Amino acid sequence: MSVATENLTGQVDILDQPLESQMTISMGPQHPSTHGVLRLELVLDGELVVKTVPDIGYLHTGMEKLFEYKKYQQGIVITDRMDYLNPLGNNLAYVMAAEKLLQLEIPERAQVIRVMMCELQRIASHMVWLGTHCLDIGAMSAFFYCFRQREKILNLIEAVSGGRLTPSYFRIGGLMMDLPAGFERRVKQFLDDFPAALEELTTLVSDNTLWQSRTKGIGIISPEDAIDWGLTGPCLRGSGIDLDLRRHNPYSGYETYDFEVCVELDCDVWARFRVRMREMFESYKIIRQTVDRLKPGPTKADAPKVVLPDRDDMRKHMDSLIHHFLIVAEGFNVPPGEVYHAIEASKGELGVYMKSNGGPKPERVHFRGPSFVNLAALPVMAEGEMVADVVAIIGSLDIVLGEIDR
Amino acid sequence: MSIISDVINSTKAVIKGMKITISKMPQKKWTVQYPDVPVTVQPRYRGQHLLHVDENGKEKCVACYLCAAACPSECIYIEATDDARPYEERVGRDERYAKVYNIDYGRCIFCGFCVEACPKDAITHGYNFELSVYNRADLLKTKDDLLITKQKQSKNYRVALSDEDVDSEYKEVDKVGIKFRL
Amino acid sequence: MEQVIKTVFPIVVLFAGATVAFGAVMGVVAYTVLAERKVLGWLQGRIGPNRVGPWGVLQPFADLFKFIFKEDIAPDKSTKFVYYLAPIVAVTAALIPMVVYPFGPPIISVDWSFLPFGLGEGISRLPLVLAQIDVGVLFVLGVTSVGVYGIALAGWSSNSKYSLMGGLRSSAQMISYELAMGASVLGVVMLSGSLNLSDIICAQIYSPYKWFIIPQFIGFLVFLISAFAETNRVPFDLPEAETELVAGFHTEYSALKFALFFMAEYVNMFTVSVMCVTLFLGGWYVPGLSHIFQFGTIPYALISVGAFFLKIFLFLFLYIWIRGTLPRFRFDQLMSFGWKFLLPVAIANVILTIVAIWAWNVMGWSQAVPCSN
Repeated sequence: MSVATENLTGQVDILDQPLESQMTISMGPQHPSTHGVLRLELVLDGELVVKTVPDIGYLHTGMEKLFEYKKYQQGIVITDRMDYLNPLGNNLAYVMAAEKLLQLEIPERAQVIRVMMCELQRIASHMVWLGTHCLDIGAMSAFFYCFRQREKILNLIEAVSGGRLTPSYFRIGGLMMDLPAGFERRVKQFLDDFPAALEELTTLVSDNTLWQSRTKGIGIISPEDAIDWGLTGPCLRGSGIDLDLRRHNPYSGYETYDFEVCVELDCDVWARFRVRMREMFESYKIIRQTVDRLKPGPTKADAPKVVLPDRDDMRKHMDSLIHHFLIVAEGFNVPPGEVYHAIEASKGELGVYMKSNGGPKPERVHFRGPSFVNLAALPVMAEGEMVADVVAIIGSLDIVLGEIDR
Repeated sequence: MSIISDVINSTKAVIKGMKITISKMPQKKWTVQYPDVPVTVQPRYRGQHLLHVDENGKEKCVACYLCAAACPSECIYIEATDDARPYEERVGRDERYAKVYNIDYGRCIFCGFCVEACPKDAITHGYNFELSVYNRADLLKTKDDLLITKQKQSKNYRVALSDEDVDSEYKEVDKVGIKFRL
Repeated sequence: MEQVIKTVFPIVVLFAGATVAFGAVMGVVAYTVLAERKVLGWLQGRIGPNRVGPWGVLQPFADLFKFIFKEDIAPDKSTKFVYYLAPIVAVTAALIPMVVYPFGPPIISVDWSFLPFGLGEGISRLPLVLAQIDVGVLFVLGVTSVGVYGIALAGWSSNSKYSLMGGLRSSAQMISYELAMGASVLGVVMLSGSLNLSDIICAQIYSPYKWFIIPQFIGFLVFLISAFAETNRVPFDLPEAETELVAGFHTEYSALKFALFFMAEYVNMFTVSVMCVTLFLGGWYVPGLSHIFQFGTIPYALISVGAFFLKIFLFLFLYIWIRGTLPRFRFDQLMSFGWKFLLPVAIANVILTIVAIWAWNVMGWSQAVPCSN
């Protein structure tokens, strides 16, 4: 059966003359398990996958270009919409890159809150991953149990920032606002219930032999290949490489927290699954530590030309009001230069390359999206597997199309 | 006999999983029966904007354009006017006020930057969240829709207290919506 | 005139019986769909449908109306005749086994002589079965396996690759698991010495175990697992694995044609539950009921019919419960599980049963079963 693939001409050579026994199947962009609008061109021999070609760009919104027309602080809201399961992580990467250019010193309390919120967001993101991964492989109920936990975290994020999916909570030089009163108690409440919920999911999903037989030994990528393809995050650690930017290139004071970098040696879907399951517990441990470390103090850096003044201060003092007006209306000038700052987002290394020409708007902002790079390795993982495994492998990569297409 | 032990182990695992799913059956359900039951929003929730007035009903906005400048999606349109009349006859609290204050909700992304920017506390996010309309033109909200004295507040939300439990909305539902359960 | 009435009367009775049975089955099926959504919701911490009527009890009718009024779309390049034929084949094959369902014990206590024109003459018993087929078990197995044609044809005629793969998977799966299913039934057939479903129930009543699940536990498990596979239910729902094949063989079907497939699936679920209950759980038989009511009286029959449906509901609940818990197999795992594990186990069970029966006979413990319809 020969199939026209007009939109991929020039990229795909094997599809031009497929063998008679092969079938080209177009999976997506509207397919239940491609996690958004990913399209895969699968060349199948019966149920076996001969070749996979990811076709991306259905969600392209030109975000990176948009940054060039927004003031630095306005860019934060754009980052929310990239990896929409991990918006606080994106916020953090962006603001930290800008802070690196500005050489700002972030106060202790803001750092602790940032770590706490990012780890909460990591659990939420992993919960969505687990739920959809289970749904892909056919286990339905776990999806709802996962979203139940995520809902609690979204409530916490809504309580601090006012937005559930688009918090925009971090600001260049600190935070939008301090935590609301009684927030520590609510975080503790969530933490008290969380290990039991995780244990329940482990019993329901990972202890199940059927689940193990669906995930073990498929989607294998060797450690060498994983490095060559530039995998990061849980996908890389699932291939036995011990690399976690929180440990190996610490930021926001991660070096002071006690947590384990989860590494699994099996290189398959099961290993990546185990890494994320264990990581959720490590995040839980980190959040416990941050709650103990919360001490009263400022949440904004001492940089009146960059950081908005406190509202009371702004109402009372003329110079604060002038700064407020200037920062909001004109933005702040960032010293010329270029930086790359990477954080360990829930899906891997989220890097921000930022170039400033001295004005209030960046000259260029580029994101190194972990989903985008991890997806590139899909053809390697999926080759020779079955159709059902492709779905499992996509699930184990934990991709978000908002970040891939940007 | 590895096959037999395999079979026994996997059966055990399946039964354990089935125990977990059935244990959810008698438990409280998590569904919030919106719109029969109001949705719980947190105090900082960012809903439709409110333009505030002072204690005498005079608009606080002085049309300084800071919100429009702060807005990343450029959805705020303001026309400023001076009103030289005495305070009692004026529209605004100060002499300068916004004759036109439009927010295009087709563009607004509810980031809260305008609220942060306002030096007069004239604009805040309210809690109204049901903003869908049949006609795209209706997404352009004018001062008539935004002023706190004129905006109709929806009955479908409930603002949580800041010291409520993390999953209070489900507990709240249990009190209100018991007749919808099953 | 009287002659005509006398000739027509049995046919009328048969039609009335068929209508009642059809109504009962369709009612059960409609509410199985609702129960599935409800129970699945409860298992997942949700409420389930509750908007149509109190507690959502009218939901099946809302679904039905939705299906009827939806636009009927046929893909442009589909093979139209086969495309329209496939759902009809599927639902017909699913409904035919209904004629041998042993819904309850015969009613023999009623004197039918009150009927006019002497219609009640010579009628001593009212069987609660539509047709007494001596090879009932074979009939059910044979007719249900025709249903695979519906699925395969649907997959082929839709001219969609997802449908085609779903159809292929389904054919392979059903053929594989039919073997294990047939082999697992053999043990019961040998123990009861009959292929007639009513006789099998009767044999269970007179056997020392009362329910064949006790001597045939392995057979029961094999049958149950094959039943899940035969009806394309989780964890064997590969033909319509929504996350792989969108919706499998019925991807291109809409409106009433889709409803027919949907119905066929749930009727099949009902059929295998009936088979399971009849072969292994004593059918309508409630141990000890004859001490309270005389066999053959109307209350006895009613309670038995109730017990029969109760047992079926337990199985249907199990189906839903499993669906709420397990992930699905991969295609090669499904095949190797069927051929390399289930079939050998079923055959071993048959051999074990043969040896046991032979030993039983040698020891002289066997007893004649006084059963005939």
